[in-house]
Amino acid sequence: MLWERFRHLLGETFLNFRRGGWGVIASIGAIAIAFLVTGIFLLLTLNLSTVVARWAEDFQVVVFLDDTITKKQRTLVQKRLDGEMAVRDVTYLSKKEALADFRRKIRGQESLLEGLKTNPLPASFQLRIREQYQTADVLGHLAASLKRMEGIEDVLYGQEWVERLTSLIEVMKILGIVIGGVLGVASLFIVANTIRMAVYARAQEIEIMRLVGATRAYIQIPLILEGTLQGGLGAALALGLLYALFRGTLWQLGTTASMIFAGTELTQFLEAEYRMAMVGLGALLGGVGSLVAVRRFLKV
Amino acid sequence: MIQMFHVSKTYPKDVVALSDITLHIQKGEFVFLCGPSGAGKTTLLRLIFRDELPTDGQILVNGRNVVRLRESKLPALRRSIGVIFQDFKLLMDRTVYDNLHLVTRVLGIPETISRRKIGRLLKEVGLLQKADQIPYSLSGGEQQRVAIARALVSDPAILLADEPTGNLDPDLALDVMRLLAEVNIRGTTVVVATHNPKLVAEMGHHTLILKQGRLVEEIP
Repeated sequence: MLWERFRHLLGETFLNFRRGGWGVIASIGAIAIAFLVTGIFLLLTLNLSTVVARWAEDFQVVVFLDDTITKKQRTLVQKRLDGEMAVRDVTYLSKKEALADFRRKIRGQESLLEGLKTNPLPASFQLRIREQYQTADVLGHLAASLKRMEGIEDVLYGQEWVERLTSLIEVMKILGIVIGGVLGVASLFIVANTIRMAVYARAQEIEIMRLVGATRAYIQIPLILEGTLQGGLGAALALGLLYALFRGTLWQLGTTASMIFAGTELTQFLEAEYRMAMVGLGALLGGVGSLVAVRRFLKV
Repeated sequence: MIQMFHVSKTYPKDVVALSDITLHIQKGEFVFLCGPSGAGKTTLLRLIFRDELPTDGQILVNGRNVVRLRESKLPALRRSIGVIFQDFKLLMDRTVYDNLHLVTRVLGIPETISRRKIGRLLKEVGLLQKADQIPYSLSGGEQQRVAIARALVSDPAILLADEPTGNLDPDLALDVMRLLAEVNIRGTTVVVATHNPKLVAEMGHHTLILKQGRLVEEIP
């Protein structure tokens, strides 16, 4: 009995699917487009977030010291920095080390440095900032107060960049949600319409089933499952397209990308949870769409 | 088996289909519902399997109050009633077999039992050879018999037939009536709506005569 029921459900669902023809293709296509566009935003946002997070993590505030700084002053500065809440750790880089560092960075072109009689590079403290303090506001204050200390020449920080990118990500997130939402609602209506057509196409059969004593669920569930299947397939199709697009873009960019985003990997596709969530959401969308159609157009 | 108490049915725009009908059909009876077209025969049948609700009055079918029946109990009522529709309501794009199979699926009858049952019914109505044809390719009389077979799939306690001989020649009409009589002999309560008084006279059963929505005569 239960098995018969189950078989009926699956059979009906696939039968509707086959009979649906273009309507079904339109439904799946609409959901695929909605999810593809949303997916592009999601993918960009996620990857950009990773890049920015890494930049932010790597980012150091650099405190350049005056060449004339006394040992006592330096100790004072060091103590001050050690006591700073925002600072996770402090590394001292002497003039000598700075030069050696620089030499390493320009390897192959060390000749540039040959004419130098004195070391032009200042000693510095390299600060790592705790995550919760990585805002332009906090760092701006820190820099300003440090600059007032004796023996400090300058304080550099690039938080502004991180902030700018972060707000760009925020904008993209909102844009993605809005566009995805609009397209999602649109595709919900398209699914609803396809199911409505299925209801009309099968009006006579449904009426007969009703008259010979079919329960409401018996008639409705296959139709709702059909919408769910359309939604899930649409989202899965979108994932496939998104992956192709992602691979294609990486291939086009080739090595340029790895240069721009030095040290970060822009080869991150949506993780399994996101993929499952997308297909699940697609199925839900399709299910709700057909539920709406069934409630409105199916008189049982 | 079927009882109506002061039942009226008015359609929108004050079209009166039935007014103040009180009747009693016993279990196992064969009843003719007679009257000219538009007398309310079809409406009366539809009230019995609750395709319509009356505007007034109460209806008892097999002990159930149809008027106050809950939505969830409706399938059970309909499964106990076989209906032969005036327009047959066959799916023209499915085979004869599939038309009957639709019902066994709704009833959740296992496939092996369903196959045997459909085979037996088609044999009874003489259409076993045509099981794989679509109704469209059958004659009117054959389509009628498919409709009868389908109404019997659920082994209903009550069989309602709306003009089952409507467009058949007299010989075929008599065949169909004999078929219904056989069903009745096996214990099913049969109600046949017809505007063919000759048929009624020949069969000589309990007859209810409707005219303009009123029960004007009852021949026991």
